[in-house]
Amino acid sequence: MSRNIPQWLAPTSLQEALALRAQLGDEATVVAGGTFIGILMNQKIMQPQALLSLRNVSELAFIEASQDEGSLLRIGAMTTHRAVERSPLIRQEWPVLASTFSLVASPRVRNQATVGGVLADADYASDPPTLLQALNARVVVRSQKSEREIPVEELIIGYYETSLRPDELLVEVRVPRNRERVVYRKFRSRSSEDRPCVAVAAAQVDGKLRVVVGAVAEKPQYFPEICALAEGETGGYTRELVTEIGQRYAESIEPISDSRGSAAYRRRVIAVEVRRALEEMVP
Amino acid sequence: MSNPRVTGAIRYAQDVEFEGMLHASILRSPYPHARILRVDASAVPDSVVVLTPDDIRDFGSYGCQIQDQTVLPRDRVRFVGDPVLAVAAPTKREADEALNLIDVEYERLPGVFDAVEAVAEGAPLVHEHHAISENDAAYFGIRPQEGTNICHRFRIRHGDMEEGFKQADVVVEETYRTPGAQHAAMEPHASVARWQDGRLEVWTGTQTPFNLRMDLAGIFNIPESQIRIISPPMGGAFGAKTFVRTEAIAACLAQKAGRPVKVVLSRYEEWLTLNRHPATLQVKLGARADGTLVAKRVVCWVDTGAYADCGPGVAQKMGYAAVGPYRIPQVWVDSLCVYTNLPPNGAFRGYGAMQAVWASERTMDILAAKLGMDPLELRLKNVLVDGDQFCTGEIMHDVHFIECLHAAAGTIGWADNKQGKGLCVLMKGMQTPSRASIVVEANDDGSYTVHCATAEMGQGAWHSIRLMAAELLGVELEKVHYAEPDTDIVPYDTRTTSSRSTYMMGRALVEAVRDLKRKGELGYGECVNKGGLDPDTGQGIASTHWHQGAAAAEVRVDEETGKFQVLKLYTSIYAGRVVNRPGAELQNEGSMIMGLGTTLFEEIAFEDGQPANANLSDYNLPAAGDLPESFTSDLFEREGAEVHGLGETALPPVPPAIGNALYSLGIHVTDLPLSAEKVLNAIDSRQQAKGGRA
Repeated sequence: MSRNIPQWLAPTSLQEALALRAQLGDEATVVAGGTFIGILMNQKIMQPQALLSLRNVSELAFIEASQDEGSLLRIGAMTTHRAVERSPLIRQEWPVLASTFSLVASPRVRNQATVGGVLADADYASDPPTLLQALNARVVVRSQKSEREIPVEELIIGYYETSLRPDELLVEVRVPRNRERVVYRKFRSRSSEDRPCVAVAAAQVDGKLRVVVGAVAEKPQYFPEICALAEGETGGYTRELVTEIGQRYAESIEPISDSRGSAAYRRRVIAVEVRRALEEMVP
Repeated sequence: MSNPRVTGAIRYAQDVEFEGMLHASILRSPYPHARILRVDASAVPDSVVVLTPDDIRDFGSYGCQIQDQTVLPRDRVRFVGDPVLAVAAPTKREADEALNLIDVEYERLPGVFDAVEAVAEGAPLVHEHHAISENDAAYFGIRPQEGTNICHRFRIRHGDMEEGFKQADVVVEETYRTPGAQHAAMEPHASVARWQDGRLEVWTGTQTPFNLRMDLAGIFNIPESQIRIISPPMGGAFGAKTFVRTEAIAACLAQKAGRPVKVVLSRYEEWLTLNRHPATLQVKLGARADGTLVAKRVVCWVDTGAYADCGPGVAQKMGYAAVGPYRIPQVWVDSLCVYTNLPPNGAFRGYGAMQAVWASERTMDILAAKLGMDPLELRLKNVLVDGDQFCTGEIMHDVHFIECLHAAAGTIGWADNKQGKGLCVLMKGMQTPSRASIVVEANDDGSYTVHCATAEMGQGAWHSIRLMAAELLGVELEKVHYAEPDTDIVPYDTRTTSSRSTYMMGRALVEAVRDLKRKGELGYGECVNKGGLDPDTGQGIASTHWHQGAAAAEVRVDEETGKFQVLKLYTSIYAGRVVNRPGAELQNEGSMIMGLGTTLFEEIAFEDGQPANANLSDYNLPAAGDLPESFTSDLFEREGAEVHGLGETALPPVPPAIGNALYSLGIHVTDLPLSAEKVLNAIDSRQQAKGGRA
């Protein structure tokens, strides 16, 4: 059952945090808002020896939009869901991002859960990663020695698994400005505060359709070749096209079964919800 | 006045502290059924007190209706979570750490996880013998079937069922299943025990201080007078805080340690302590072509888990509640309370009525469809009115089903359009027989103190009793104090269950105030209700007081995903006279919300006896966002009427009202919860039957 209470490390600067990360690597579990790690520890699925808390690293809590560099939204990893949801800047310029974060769990959770946390825990049943991937967002990953920027789809590689190295921290999310159409649909099979059973994000990015389906497999599912069917369709999609894209997504995904729905059920809902997302995109 | 629940000033059982007090942790079985071969706690440091099966060999067994439990199982564990041993240490952390140092060797045994399978030939036996309890809670004839997993069989034999079906023009038959559910009170189970000069004192959040005292007396083989139970206010109970839960382990550890011991369960342990009975019900109902009901046959399989607890009582109530508030001349019921290797199931708001009403009221709509009759009309034609005989033989009085049904139908515009709409009517019995007694004391300063065992679990019972006392005494509310129930002081009360307290204790209070006015300093009053059912025929008095109500729901279904929205939910409850209107309304709404959770998604999942969703992330409770846009209820009063219990009535009718609303669209689901996936499957198999939209 429970072991010794884990050591609590609470650096106050990113430099300090990176130094601890370099020193301890996987011996210390990184904790941001704690809403994910907390559940795992309560259920005794995870029993870390040490916790590296980023809570006091205030330089990682920010929301900025640079007007230059192609007009990029930069969100610090320690920004809470609630802060994203309520940010006037994000509500104005990236409204679907704000509304998607507002769909996560309850206000109590959103006041704790962070943008960096929800990406780095790579929980398949989350809302934000699906939308961020559709928006072609990238994350900035730092170690003491290096900094790299990778797309969200290369960050999350499996169930609770990321491509982060033991000495790295996810420090920032960068979302390109998107003046084109974006839709996020959260299908809940149970409570309004539940995680998604099927999550669908659809966005036009640089004139190309990106449909990402989340919460149905080990990581968000994106099929560029199916999205390519929509190429050249600028004035809205036909009923036949959106139905076909929905069906092809449903056929291409191997859905999981869990308490929110069986694989067979999810497959049916994927076809419906992808189609509906594309219908909503029609101007 | 600030509410101590809001300010945090309230003192729950888990806030009780004593000098030198130890904190307990419980080592629980990882297997659903296993023999304990060896327990080795030699590595545990001396600062930790360990209670092993050897320590309790001389202690008595307990169980409120069947004596099937010992403080720790002597040689065999029967469910995942069955306590194997317990430790107490100066801190909770040290207690938890000590559990890691204990080695237990098990030999796994085959288990059984479904009540229908558990009664089949050759099923593993969970208990070899069934000793009927001497506790007051064993208030009816309990009929265990030796050599089987059936710990109680309740029967109703009213008229000639075979003959009745011969007269039927239309017969419908269906099987229904309802899953286990967790009470999920905000406050977990907690108790503190200490021994003082050979007397046992226990502070515990309990609805049943006197039943608890009886069982503890049997365990320690001491007179009840040597035990004192104090019941502080609770943060929710819903039936889970009944009978022996954590108290026996706390008391044994305290005795061994010679120091007070506190037990507070974790959220996960709540799922291993008490849940709602999963049930399977088979219903056959026959009517004449004009809708007159002629015969009903019901079989209930009630899964009580590894220990009976009050399962026999639940099975009995489920048995007669499944007949419903109807005039049916020929009734045949077998209700079986069955052991399985799941965590124990016990009282849960509704007490068997939810499962019964789900099966019974869904069947009414199936029958109505087959008769080509309006479901409201079918109910009105057969529903009990004053002077009618119920299947138990008792003559009904003070019944108000028709009024409740009309109100429900009116709320959803039944007369205009029935698509996507559903109705339900229910009756629920109150604990019979039972006894409530109360003392009212006049204080020197002109105020009064009420002493009774009614537990405050958040339902507002203390406030209601104070309001009634103030009115009877003709004083301001502030002049009436309520003392925390303490079995050394308060007179006997059966328990705070079955929505009986305002009614029963209220009647006892009238007597006590009358007595006080006569005597001047101390007044005593009691209320006794007599009755009971013959367990082999179901004849007698099921209840001296009936909880009555109806519900209406309207739904909108996403036919492509099976996800549906409850647009409207309404209950009409007969209240007689309301003592505390805001409290009564909130209690009613609370019942409806719990009913909504049961309808939509609450379900404890097990995989080979292992709980698979025993946490509040995987197990969904209703959230504010799940409430229908239109969510209302009415409490009907009558001039000069007596108070009616309200604590549970609005829960059981919610699932069938919603299930019937789906059925009006041709969507037939028999098993709760009504998940989107089940609804989609039902849409797939929807036939072009009457009422179907397809």
